[in-house]
Amino acid sequence: MIEGLFNQPSYLAAKKTLDAVAVRQEAIANNIANLETPGYKRVDLSPTFRHELDRACSSGDAQQIAALKPTLAQDTTAVANSRDGNSVNLESEMMQLNQNTMAHTLETQMVSSMLMRLKMAITGKSA
Amino acid sequence: MIQPLSGIQNTVAALDAERTRLDVISENIANANTTHGLDGKPYQRKVVVFESALQQAIGAGGNASLTPQLRVARIDKDNRPPVQIYAPGNPEADERGMVSTPNINVHEEMADLINASRAFEANLAVVKNEKSMAMQTLSIGKH
Repeated sequence: MIEGLFNQPSYLAAKKTLDAVAVRQEAIANNIANLETPGYKRVDLSPTFRHELDRACSSGDAQQIAALKPTLAQDTTAVANSRDGNSVNLESEMMQLNQNTMAHTLETQMVSSMLMRLKMAITGKSA
Repeated sequence: MIQPLSGIQNTVAALDAERTRLDVISENIANANTTHGLDGKPYQRKVVVFESALQQAIGAGGNASLTPQLRVARIDKDNRPPVQIYAPGNPEADERGMVSTPNINVHEEMADLINASRAFEANLAVVKNEKSMAMQTLSIGKH
């Protein structure tokens, strides 16, 4: 019965997006760590995740959203920018790192505020 | 399960490798004028050789081969010949008055130094961001 409280599609979607942001952070951290590894190809969040999340959200099915799993994948669109075949560009990685941190702030606040609203509904007191 | 700080091992490995590279570069610069090393020969430039290692613990992404770990494979000697300069007054000079000096180009070392410290800084920025993200994650549910 208690699970019902945490099964709204919007809450699940926010949680999954937070997971995706964490995976993306791992991808960017790895790209920066392998800045000078010859032949390294940059990785990113699997591009199919976005479509899957879109589809699951528009279906409104909580089960479908809960089953989503963000994964890492090689970024096939990145081109090697040096002769050693490495496709990491430090400037763009740093930019994405900061974007991702902001996305993380947004998502944690979303999840937090949803929990707060729930708490408010249960206790009848604000904050 | 997605863990906070999941990509940190690779960042730490990269920081470690870049630190070694910085050490080797500073050693090269320090010995740019050493004509008589421990083996009696002029100092030979050292180069760090990096390699990728597969991460032991598989992170949230699942596929370890996508995210190799950077590490120092070995520190090699640069086999370029020593630079010959004419200095007949130098006690190290041979019968033609030539002195063998280390095969180090300080400008090359400085460029490498900047590269290595930029890479180090970038990894440090990742650690900082990762930490602040983990703190935010931990504060979910507090106001």
